[in-house]
Formats: sequence, C-alpha cells, structure tokens
Amino acid sequence: MDLVLRGGILHDPSCNREGPMEILIRNGRVEALSPSLGPVDTPVLELAGKLVLPGLIDMHVHLREPGQEKKETIATGCAAAVAGGFTAVACMPNTSPPVDRKETVAYIKERAARADLARVYPIGALTAGLQGQELSAMTELAAAGVRGFSDDGRPVADSTLMLRALQFARVLGLPVISHCEDLSLAAGGVVHAGATGYRLGLPVIHAAAETAAVARDLLLQQEGCGYLHLAHISSRLSVSLLAWAKEAGIQFSAEVTPHHLLLTETAVDGFNTSAKMNPPLREEGDRAALCEALRNGLIDVIATDHAPHHAAEKEKDFISAPFGVSGLETAFPLLFTHLVETGIIPLSCLVDCLSTAPARILGVAGGTLAPGAPADLVVVDPRAEKQVQNEKFYSRGKNTPFHGWKLRGFPVLTLVEGDIKMCRGEVKGMSDAFIPMLESIFKEGRL
Amino acid sequence: MFLKDLFSLAHFSVAAMQEVMERARYFKDRDRNQTFKSLQGKNVAISFWEPSTRTRLSFALAVQKLGGTVIDYQPEMGSEKKGESIEDTVKTMLSLGAAALIFRSSIPGLFYEIAPHVELSFISGGEGCYQHPTQALLDIFTLQQRGVTLQGANVVMVGDILHSRVARSHFYALPAFGASLTLVAPPVFLPDALVPPGASAGFSLEEALPAADILYLLRVQKERQGVNLLPSLNAYASLYGLDQKRLALLKKDALLLHPGPMNVGTEISYEALKYLERHNPERVLFQEQVANGVYTRMAVLDLLLAGR
Repeated sequence: MDLVLRGGILHDPSCNREGPMEILIRNGRVEALSPSLGPVDTPVLELAGKLVLPGLIDMHVHLREPGQEKKETIATGCAAAVAGGFTAVACMPNTSPPVDRKETVAYIKERAARADLARVYPIGALTAGLQGQELSAMTELAAAGVRGFSDDGRPVADSTLMLRALQFARVLGLPVISHCEDLSLAAGGVVHAGATGYRLGLPVIHAAAETAAVARDLLLQQEGCGYLHLAHISSRLSVSLLAWAKEAGIQFSAEVTPHHLLLTETAVDGFNTSAKMNPPLREEGDRAALCEALRNGLIDVIATDHAPHHAAEKEKDFISAPFGVSGLETAFPLLFTHLVETGIIPLSCLVDCLSTAPARILGVAGGTLAPGAPADLVVVDPRAEKQVQNEKFYSRGKNTPFHGWKLRGFPVLTLVEGDIKMCRGEVKGMSDAFIPMLESIFKEGRL
Repeated sequence: MFLKDLFSLAHFSVAAMQEVMERARYFKDRDRNQTFKSLQGKNVAISFWEPSTRTRLSFALAVQKLGGTVIDYQPEMGSEKKGESIEDTVKTMLSLGAAALIFRSSIPGLFYEIAPHVELSFISGGEGCYQHPTQALLDIFTLQQRGVTLQGANVVMVGDILHSRVARSHFYALPAFGASLTLVAPPVFLPDALVPPGASAGFSLEEALPAADILYLLRVQKERQGVNLLPSLNAYASLYGLDQKRLALLKKDALLLHPGPMNVGTEISYEALKYLERHNPERVLFQEQVANGVYTRMAVLDLLLAGR
C-alpha cells in the first residue's frame, strides 16, 4: 500500500542518513525522503520519534523445511523473521533433503512465496549431499537462484575441495559461506574448553577447532580469490587471524551471532541446554574481542544462526540435546539494549551489520532506504521495555537462553516491498489480531 | 538451608559437609549394638546405569541399616537407547512411593532440570565426569577417622583428572576442610581451565611427591584409552605410576587413598603395593575407604531424608 511514515528518526548507514525524516512509500518502493514532504494523498502514520531502519537481513538461518517441519517451517520461520524486524533471510541448505538440486531451491522459493512474509534467499549446498566429497551442481543451483554456497554444520574437511569451491563460486559471483570447524578436533565436544565446561565434566570443543579452520580458509582464499564469508566467528584468536588476513590483503567477510556477542560459557552452568550451541559460547575475552571486531570493522555482519529445535529435543540431557538457538525474534532488541544503549557500538554500525552489509555480501536488494530502493524497512520502538517470552515466539523453536530478559528496541512495524507484514507484534496471516491492529493504527494515524 | 538433592558438593555448604561427618561418626560408633530407624517406612530407589559394585552395595547397605527398603529399579534409559524418558523414570519412582533416587549415570546432568520441581531426593552415586560427591565425603571421613588434621594438609592427586568425577567433588570437599590440593597429570588429563582456584597443578610427579601429606591415586580408565589420549598405558605408568622409587620420595608417614577399583600396574606398581602392604599397611587406606563408605552414605541419607 502507499503510505507516508512521519515523525520517525531515520538511520540508514548505506547513505549516511541519520535524523528526522518523512518517507513516502509508493508501489512498494521508497519514492521520496524529506524532512518535510508537505501535503500528501496517501495514508499517514505518525511514528512519534521511533526509529526507521532499512529492513534487517539475516544471512544465516535454518528454516528446517523441507524435512524437519517439527522444528520449523518456512512459514513459521518467515513469521519469526518479520516479527523480529527481518525483511529477508538466507536459509542454510542442511535440510532433508539438502539443498543440492534445483528442485529443492524451487520448493523453498515456492513455500516462501506462499508464506508471503520475508524474502527468502536459499543458500545452496557446497558439496553434493553435504557429503564433502565432490562439488555440488553449483551452476544449476546458481541458475535456480541460490545466493551463496555452504556446507554449514558439516564443514568441508578436504582442503583441495574447498579451494576448488572458492575458485568456482568466484565465476558465479557468489559467496562461499564457511562454517569453520576442524571436525576431528571438535569431535564429540558439546561445550567450550573453559572453566565451566570442565567443571561440569562435559566433553569440550577447543577454540583451535575454529581457529585452525579459519586460518586454513583464509589461506585458501588467498589462493582461490573467491568470495569467502566466515560464518559465526566465536573466538578471540579467530579475530586476530582476521586482522592478520586484512593486513595481508586477503579479501573476506565475516559474521558473528548475537549470542556470542552477549553471552559467555557460564550460561551453560546447570547443564542449561538452551545455551548449547555450535560454535560454543566462549570466554569474556572472546566476547569482548568480538564486540571490538564489530567496532573496528573486522567483522562485517551480525547473523543469528537461527537454529530452531523442537522442545522435546532441547529437554534431553546436555550431551544429547542438539546445538542451536532460536534467534530471529530477539536479535535486534538484544543488540540494541546491550550494545547500542550501552555505547559499545553506534546504532549506525548495528544497522550496517544487520542490513547493509549482508545485502552487499549476498548481492541482493535491500540494506538501504535510498529513493528508488524497495520499501523493505523496519520501525523500532527505542523506549518501550518488554520481556522476552519464548512461548510467544512465532518460531516453532522456543529454544533461547534469553527468555525473561527485559529489553528495549523491539520492532513494531515491518514492511516488505511496501507491504505491512508485522504491526506491533502481530504478523500478517499468522495472527488473528493483525487486521484489527492495522485498522486501529490507521484510524488513529499513529503507530 | 534445606537440602533435598546431592548432585554436586559445589552446592553443599561447609556446615552441611561437617554435619555429614558428625552423623557418619555417630553411625559408626553405634553400628555394633544399635539399630537405626530414620528411614523406616521409606522406599529408596537405586538405579545404576553404569557398572558398579562397591558404591551400589554401599548405598544399599546404608539404606537397610537405616531401616529403609531398597527398590532396585533398572529401566533402559538414556538418550541413545529407545528407553523411557527422564520424566517417565521420575514419575515411576513417585508412583512406587520412593522418597529418593540414588543413581549413577555415564551422562551428567540427567536430573538437574527436573529436580527442583519434584518431591524426590536425587542422590548421585557418580555422574559421568561430573561429580561423585559421596566418594569425596567418605574420603574425608576416612582421613578424619585416622586422626588426620586436614587443615593445612597437602593432598597430591595424580591420574586422569579430566575424566574424574571424584576429583571434581574433591575440588570442593578438600578445601572445605582446609586441605590444599596439588593436581598432577600429563597435560591431556589436566587442562589449565580445569584447575580450580586455589589448587596448584603440575606435570611432574617427582616434584610433587616430597611435599605430599596424602597421595590420592586416581584410576586411569582403560576404556578411555582407545582415543589416543596417551601413547599407551605403559607410557603413563612409567611417568606417573607409583613405583618403589617414587614411593621413596614420599614422607615416611604419607597416606595413600584410591577410589577403587585399582589398576595395579598402572597407577601403582605391583611391587610398590606389596611393599606398602608388608611394611606400612597403616599408610594404605583403600579398605577403610570402602568400609567408611557405608557410614558416610548413611549420614547423607539421614541428612537428606530423615524427617522429610
């Protein structure tokens, strides 16, 4: 619908715009931006000082469909996305079957179109069947519309194969997203090799399982000159390696998750399976180094690694419970409250990491509200405080270590191509209260 | 503080540990000519999902001596097997009228989440590599029975610390009674982050032995050696086994503890063990540990269950 957003504060790092701005949205695009648009012929929503940001893009989620619909579906995952202010997500290929054929890509796109909520960019398998033996049908997958390649969760152990993947993906202009883990070092581990994990007597994962793989991939990238994107970096020494690579002129991009920015291994105390994730939560020094890497630009992207699981799976004992956190519905308020309000990073940096940078790396629309851009945007309430309640998630995955946290900065309006997908927590097509909510805000003319 | 469960000595106050010692002494002193009734009419379930002889027997005996009834419950459980869930096990216990579940499991933390929500005492008989609290308590009791002053004593613990639940319980028990702890093992068994605050750690047994008041030998489990932790058990024995040469480095009155079962030839050489048994049997507390286990477990059961 056509619409004017008035009285909001725009933060758009893609064009260095920061400040009060009126936004005219027409035909799904940003038509005009001005401190004062003057009289308009469209409905107007008064935002009363709320923040207007380019729609958030999560370049690392697991939507579980096809094959694991108990954990999540594309529809529920997309509902969680727009509820959390994300207008686009890139979904990992470790479904059943994995995304290694064009039919599976088409299936995901069709399900996403039917859900009609967030944009969904499938990531294709890097190797056939995620088996790490031979390259997948990369050209076919690229033609079907994947926006990158990854064997996320089952990293490619064979270095030659990884080099070939980088070299070939370069031709296709697509990133290779590497989950950096030396599986032989990590084998059997469930928790970081730190004081808490050792005290609990749990099998550990050494930080070197990540850093050794980060180093390898950076060196392969130097040979292969592809587009290497390092997923969910978690350790201090990995950050040092990024600094070294930058110095050496190696091109790469890297991401970090909200949980690695905010939590340490102590969260697993009491055998808390909601804090079991891979890579594992590490130590305060690691956490601080990751925040610093955001600030100085060594890490480009924040991605949630949204990994929904069925409640019964996370109720198992710590060793058997699956890794992962349901992240889409908490990411922005967590980071706003704990990184921006505390002065650790400026809001512009957060928006860049959650929107502009992932759009650039994936090579997709969005990440900007410059005139002419698709009207993918989110409005955030910086003042109202709310408690995270996992039972209210749209995601089927209620697994979060942040349940009960009091946060500010919850998204209150999400638009994809000018269409309202979420309004004050109610998601289009998913919540009976959505239409009454829309009617009421347009009647009042304010959000 | 109201204690219901015993998973970890981290949650046991020094006062509670001292209380266990007092009650254990009480039971031991009166065991010959008195029967006890504190568990009369109470059912106590014992489920060991890992092989054990002495701990299981010791707990069963403790329940009987206190007048309670043992329910032997052995469901197929655990995540990998298609057995019943943790919740089902707990429900069964409650339906059987059990006041407590004494359990041993190779998987740590099985009952951690459910424990606060149910009226069933959980008492660990050893959980994976997590803790073995009654073992640590019975060790302390054994040393006290020997008249050892733990305050200021130096306990040297040697062996597979990484996989030892006994060691992890002693990280709390020994300091609670004022003893200092020195950990000795090859690095693969002793990562820095495992060493608790206040303890010291080293890789050389020869350096640690002369200052030891008590030498605690841990089991080096054969079943863990399949994964290339060490070149061989013999390689371990040659560097860390207590042989006669190393025995000579100990103070003449230093005491020896071992949680059993012992691998003679690995943590202690056959010759060293025979020498000690022949010349200084009073320095070897292995059998006393077993005997005192019953009284210590009676004390724990009495503390957690009597009056509830």
